[in-house]
Amino acid sequence: MPNDTIIFASIFGGCALGALLATVLKGKAMRVAWAGFGCLASIAMLALGVGGVFAESARHIPLWTVPHVGPVSFSVDHLSGFFLIVTALVAIPAMIFAAATTSDEKARKTPLAPLSLVLLASVALVILAADVFLFIVAWEVMSILIYLLACGGPKERPGYLMLAVGETGTLAVLVALLLLGSHAGSLSFQAIQASSAGLSATLVEVVFALTFLGFGVKAGLIPLNFWLPEAYTAIPSPIMPFVAGATLNLGLYGIMRSNMYFLPTTFAGPGVCMLLVGAVTALIGILYATIADDFKTLLAHSSIENAGIITTAFGAGMIFLSAGHKAAAAMALIAALYHLLNHSIFKTLLFMGAGTLERSANTRSLDEMGGLLKRMPWTGLFVLVGALSISAMPPFNGFVSEWLTIESLLRSVELSSMGLKMVFVAAGAAIMLTAGLAVTCFVRAFAMSFLGISRSEKAANASETNRAALSTMAAVAVICFVLGVVPTFAIPALDRVVAPVAGASGSTALVPTFFHPDTDKLPKKFTAEFHDLGAQIGKDAIPARGMVVMHRGGKKNPVVFAMSTPYMFVMLVVLLAALVLIVRLATKNRKVSRRPRWDGGVRRFLPEMTYTATGFAQPVRVLFEAIFRPKVSDRRESIAQHFRMSIQRKREEIHLIDRLILYPLAKATKAVAAVFAKMHNGRINAYAVYALLALIIFLAIAAAL
Amino acid sequence: MSGWIIKGLKSGVVSTHYPDGGENAQGVSPGLPSPAGGVGVDTPIGRCPTSALKAKDGGAALDKFRCVHCHRCDRNVEPTIPWDSSYEWAEKRGKTPELPKAFQRSTHIRVLDAGDCGACLNEMKLLNNPFYNMHRLGFFITPTPRQADLLVVLGPVADHMKTALLKAYEAMPAPKKVMSVGTCSATGGVFEDGFMTSTKLEDIIPVDVVVPGCPPPPLAILHGLLLVTGREDEIRSDATARPAADSSGKEAGDA
Repeated sequence: MPNDTIIFASIFGGCALGALLATVLKGKAMRVAWAGFGCLASIAMLALGVGGVFAESARHIPLWTVPHVGPVSFSVDHLSGFFLIVTALVAIPAMIFAAATTSDEKARKTPLAPLSLVLLASVALVILAADVFLFIVAWEVMSILIYLLACGGPKERPGYLMLAVGETGTLAVLVALLLLGSHAGSLSFQAIQASSAGLSATLVEVVFALTFLGFGVKAGLIPLNFWLPEAYTAIPSPIMPFVAGATLNLGLYGIMRSNMYFLPTTFAGPGVCMLLVGAVTALIGILYATIADDFKTLLAHSSIENAGIITTAFGAGMIFLSAGHKAAAAMALIAALYHLLNHSIFKTLLFMGAGTLERSANTRSLDEMGGLLKRMPWTGLFVLVGALSISAMPPFNGFVSEWLTIESLLRSVELSSMGLKMVFVAAGAAIMLTAGLAVTCFVRAFAMSFLGISRSEKAANASETNRAALSTMAAVAVICFVLGVVPTFAIPALDRVVAPVAGASGSTALVPTFFHPDTDKLPKKFTAEFHDLGAQIGKDAIPARGMVVMHRGGKKNPVVFAMSTPYMFVMLVVLLAALVLIVRLATKNRKVSRRPRWDGGVRRFLPEMTYTATGFAQPVRVLFEAIFRPKVSDRRESIAQHFRMSIQRKREEIHLIDRLILYPLAKATKAVAAVFAKMHNGRINAYAVYALLALIIFLAIAAAL
Repeated sequence: MSGWIIKGLKSGVVSTHYPDGGENAQGVSPGLPSPAGGVGVDTPIGRCPTSALKAKDGGAALDKFRCVHCHRCDRNVEPTIPWDSSYEWAEKRGKTPELPKAFQRSTHIRVLDAGDCGACLNEMKLLNNPFYNMHRLGFFITPTPRQADLLVVLGPVADHMKTALLKAYEAMPAPKKVMSVGTCSATGGVFEDGFMTSTKLEDIIPVDVVVPGCPPPPLAILHGLLLVTGREDEIRSDATARPAADSSGKEAGDA
């Protein structure tokens, strides 16, 4: 098809040409090339993705045959179409934002433009790849590009850590895919998918464990997520929105691809594993996000949290699928995909905000910010939208997908196994605690940066960012709003991705059509009840499906959970307007007198005396001390042993994963290395003995073979 | 449970009935010398450490805003000075407008310790206890001047507290009243020429009611509070006193 040629040329050729031009050009021309070609490639991806989601079946595009490997090909199916759409939605504003906010000096120091454009192409390649060889190559290119971005900072550790952990994951994935490939007799994904039914239980378990661990590294799931906060903090701010919005998804893409397509969906084990790991990841992620002082670290931990929520919803869907509850499975998978989409959108927005704050206030520490709303009102508004979205507040998108996730978890009453129900209860409790803590976390993130008074010189001198960056943030904020108000349009599209795997449509149940005459899909009695509630109001005015999203239980639990974000939005507007009006009317005759703020009567009121971000997080720190286990050290300073001058208390939280997994591992490795180090005694005759021994062993092996 | 509910119910209402009647329980007031009636010229005026007693018309007159109830004029002298054991000492000063009706019966007080020795603060604190119980009259303590209608200043206004005093006064929304409690904040008291005070309260902010006493007993402060909120007409201390439930000062367990 010539259409494909144009699209692929736009994606890969556009990125290559853009990277080339951005390397050659300087200043404004470089920015235009960066943003322009980034947008071109993204729009092509969007077109390809929309085509993929709305096509009836997967399209395979054979490319060429690599010697010794076999044919490599692209394929666009529903899942990859969905991920292409998400990537494009993130990439269009993120590329413009990156081009608009990279200073000339920074662009000279690090080749951000070419790196980000090639990263965009590699992300597209990972999603499009339809065989093991191309997939692993694209995956490696993507990993190395992120490493290059992460090691551009002053420290080398984040990049190396990311690369080391990432390669561990890639190796696990490679082994798993090769196992699948050898079973299928071909490296193409199509063949692997076709032979999935014939896998033995052991092989399924091994492949699931390897892929989940390997892809989980990129997705930020425990236990291998300790690289993520460090790398996200080290990656330059202009490109961070894209990295956060697009590359974390690839880990989830891998998990979804392998569990939905490569592995049979008849086993409950993988689902349970994902559900539990997801819930624990979410809880730990949000706990560390709530106490983080660095805005970017906070967002990184929150990415971990959201990846956990998505994995939980996905795991729930997989359990439902294995238990034969197809409709419930479809709903849970829709929740997972919707949350993935939403998380990409609002995390991009928040990282744009964090980047703008870092650029304007010259700090990332929440303790040093404060009072920025007066100086950066527009950035403040957009970060507020992002914060409301991520803390699942209506009318923004996070609310819808978290609602769907929690409702899906509640559907566990339909399962027959008591053990599975218990797992759902535990996961559901963790997710709900996470949702509550997320509100704390983002109230803190917004309030401590934008409200109050400036707690540092740097914050006091901040200024608003440029128009281009602001307009990209505005665009993403609008997407957050739209996805939050009219989810009933997004859910049917997501259902197209989910339905072929789940074997049932989720949209008929989730988005009932009782506005329309064709309500024969629902029981008459049920519709009549909703008519009594006034659900048919406005059926002539609304051209599409219903505006109500709902979960309707089966015979065992005849409960209906319904919500309607458009109505909720209208009610919110009406109530808020009424409130404002009433307050205005009631206080019409009042005189306003302005006095300086009450500061307790101190002589010099210092900004440090106000509520800081650290202070705000203290209750959470105290409540969850059993998890944080802070290292507290006191230092007392005194003169002549008697006159105490100062007591300093230092509190350091070491991440749970570091403490429990990484450090013991590092200690053990060091211990083993110390044993071997004894061999390096520096005596030349000892080395000769080693060489001789090695030769003898080698010969013995050779002889034995 | 130590049966405190039953004990409480048994003992009934023990709160003072001031201002519905006078309070004659022992020790509710340290009293003031009352030189007005028949004091001879040999009254030891010079013995007064705070010059509260001054010669007047051949006798002596008391400046109650300086007296610290030290009894030097009373002890080991002949003839003794008559001692007035009343407590309604507060005096109105200000010309600021009365508090609106709505605030009079729900007055929120910000207590400001402007270098107080602790005595006035202690008496202020006693107003909260069940015997004086100022809440029954609609007086409440608030920690922030933003919500306060009345600023109660205790102490001689040390230089270091002047800024805090001014800031607190500025922070209060109008209509606002100021009450000075204690000899120190009225005149400087024993700290009048001290190294740490230089201005009087009345020179810094307008004062509406001054309550003398060192320290003023809780009932004197309560009287001041009623004056400052414009509720003088509620005071009927000359009405027949309802006998106090137990005004002997004895507590359970006393022999």
